[in-house]
Amino acid sequence: MTSIGTGYDLANSIFSPDGRNFQVEYAVKAVENGGTSIGIRCKEGVVLAVEKIITSKLLKPNANKRIATVDRHLGIVYSGMIPDGRHFVDRARDEARAWRDTFKTPIATADLASRMGGYMQAYTLYQSVRPFGITAIIGGFDPSTDLPVDGEVGRGPSCGAGGKVPGKTFGGPGLYMIEPSGLYWGYYGAATGKGRQAAKAELEKLDLAGPGGESLTLEQAVKEAARIIYVAHDDNKDKDFELEMTWISGPDGPTKGLHQEVPRALREEAERLAKKALESDDEDEDGKMEE
Amino acid sequence: MEFGNSGFLNEDGIHLDMDRLKKGEVNLGTSIMAVTFKDGVILGADSRTTTGAYIANRVTDKLTQVHDTIWCCRSGSAADTQAVADIVKYQLELFHMMNGKPPTTQTAAAIFQEICYANKDMLSAGLIIAGWDERHGGQVYSIPLGGSLHKQPYAIGGSGSTYIYGYCDANWREGMEEEDAVNFVKGALREAIKWDGSSGGVIRMVVLTAKGADRHLYLPDTDYKVRHA
Amino acid sequence: MPGFDFSNYNRNAALHARGMPLPKATSTGTTIVGCLYDGGVVIAADTRATSGPIVADKNCEKLHYISSNIWCAGAGTAADTEFTTALVSSQLELHSLSTGRKPRVVTCMTLLKQHLFRHQGYIGAYLVVAGVDPTGTHLFTVHAHGSTDKLPYVTMGSGSLAAMSVFETQWKPQLTRDEAVKLCADAIEAGIWNDLGSGSNVDVAVITAEKTTLLRNYLRPNERSQKLGRYVFPKGTTAVLNEKIIRKEDLSKFVTVHDLPTETGDDKMEIDA
Repeated sequence: MTSIGTGYDLANSIFSPDGRNFQVEYAVKAVENGGTSIGIRCKEGVVLAVEKIITSKLLKPNANKRIATVDRHLGIVYSGMIPDGRHFVDRARDEARAWRDTFKTPIATADLASRMGGYMQAYTLYQSVRPFGITAIIGGFDPSTDLPVDGEVGRGPSCGAGGKVPGKTFGGPGLYMIEPSGLYWGYYGAATGKGRQAAKAELEKLDLAGPGGESLTLEQAVKEAARIIYVAHDDNKDKDFELEMTWISGPDGPTKGLHQEVPRALREEAERLAKKALESDDEDEDGKMEE
Repeated sequence: MEFGNSGFLNEDGIHLDMDRLKKGEVNLGTSIMAVTFKDGVILGADSRTTTGAYIANRVTDKLTQVHDTIWCCRSGSAADTQAVADIVKYQLELFHMMNGKPPTTQTAAAIFQEICYANKDMLSAGLIIAGWDERHGGQVYSIPLGGSLHKQPYAIGGSGSTYIYGYCDANWREGMEEEDAVNFVKGALREAIKWDGSSGGVIRMVVLTAKGADRHLYLPDTDYKVRHA
Repeated sequence: MPGFDFSNYNRNAALHARGMPLPKATSTGTTIVGCLYDGGVVIAADTRATSGPIVADKNCEKLHYISSNIWCAGAGTAADTEFTTALVSSQLELHSLSTGRKPRVVTCMTLLKQHLFRHQGYIGAYLVVAGVDPTGTHLFTVHAHGSTDKLPYVTMGSGSLAAMSVFETQWKPQLTRDEAVKLCADAIEAGIWNDLGSGSNVDVAVITAEKTTLLRNYLRPNERSQKLGRYVFPKGTTAVLNEKIIRKEDLSKFVTVHDLPTETGDDKMEIDA
């Protein structure tokens, strides 16, 4: 790297002459070594998935969860340095709680992304700290129905409020990815970690955006997420991995607006289909070679 | 009617213990209300402010704007309710700037409630918060003396409200047209002013819809019939 | 330390409970008024200060300077109106200096109401705030507990009822300057004649965009007139019934003076002139 020996990479608060912050770029490198994380946003909700690389045979299977719940309707997955991610999640929970305390209503996914983007960016400014070695994906579902104010007495009037703007919808699924620089965008599909290139290529093939799109159901999204993690996994580098998946649907969907782990049966079915898809890909390739 | 020294609501649930007002404090012995209707919400109030037996202001504006289409009706101590409304106004403006979107009525109600509940020992403020936003349409929240929060299709408050529970119960209908709703509010406040000695003066209203805020003024000189500028 | 000291509160409460009367603050049992007119605003005040039943000052000033374009009439506790207006005047001057703009009447009113609300009515200042700023001509009342009102004509103080009766019968929209001054002076006079707490003279301030004119003692309806009689009585007015003369030398029969020896010996005690 061009930075070696120049001294411009020694602290956050120093820019290189061509306007780069090397500490942040090193943090991105740390992320690129982490297990692949992805998020898929479809009309009915959001799926989060992570490739959990098994670093020891002594680790208990299906324990040591990597995807965190931040509020009832919000989940975060991240790639990179796991302790940094844990702290990031702690802070996200504080933000979500502070929002509820102040406004007596859950924080919107976009608002949490904004707060956490600001928090991440603050760690690129000072000599005394280093940037976060993670890229985080925030998924959530903001209900479109009227929300009660926390602490409100009773359930309010049975009749609806007058004067709503007809045809205008609110809330819905949200997916945001925050990088070590603090940069964040909203996505239809997001991927980070070592397998991000392959994962992004697969995500782009899905019908998530555009007019007439968004045809993917939440259950299909779960299966696609599993397949993408399997595709992105590099057998040559890491022997074993575990797939962890969570999802968030709207109030009418399977999770009733909550961020939850994908049920075991569905996950195993998705994994079976993922493995099958990989095998058939291999067969196709084999077939071509035979020809 | 007896008013104790407890510092709490009288057993009628409406009249506050007058001793809670410090000596010489300006009081809004009041009739206030807010009503949802087809296109939004209407706030209404009389205009009498008293210090003891003296009317300190006969054309008071008890309908206070805290955001573009979020307003509140104030009753109780004038100083307390003005101070609370000023704080909430500041908070909502800050919310709009920081989040890039206007606050909802329930956000305003939540902030009002927090202040009223946390300082309940020091405040005598009975508030009705009403607002219109794109998502929820017109909404009415009531925050009585203890600092609890009630979402209601319509709310009445102040000393004059005791006299119009029956009127409102008999005449309020869900999803009224604007004209009917204005007449309902006017009719109710006319009764409250008629029977309550602490209420009087002009009738002020604010109509909150997708079109924004629209002020109404009705004078006793014209028997509250003509809408003035 | 700034603020109030409550360390004697319990002692004073105990003394009061045992029947000791509390000291009285000098209260400007007062009439103050204000009135908007086309092109400016007028405020006026009487000049009597009272302490209980005593007239403490026959010609005090109740119109307080805030800035050149903002003035305040004060009722309530004299010390509180004096110090509160001085404090806000200072804050507003500094604010004006740092922003490079003329001070605004709403700013003054907000500073006053927040200060008074913070002290929960313990600062007994009842004020009429008037002024002209780049946003227009303004008139407010501020009560001790921190509530404010915005009206075209206002009265405050113990004489406010008398003064308001003048406004309510004679006020009309679109007053001229002279009409507004007359109306305010009449309102104050109503207080002077009909309210025990108000008296002496009428002070008036006229504020326009161009300048402020302070008309100190605009009316002096209580001028001391020439005494009707002479109250110096000639010798012999009172009859002498008998006379007895005691001479200086005979004083020792009634009073004796002894020099006492001082402790320091023969030093004589110094006696001040």
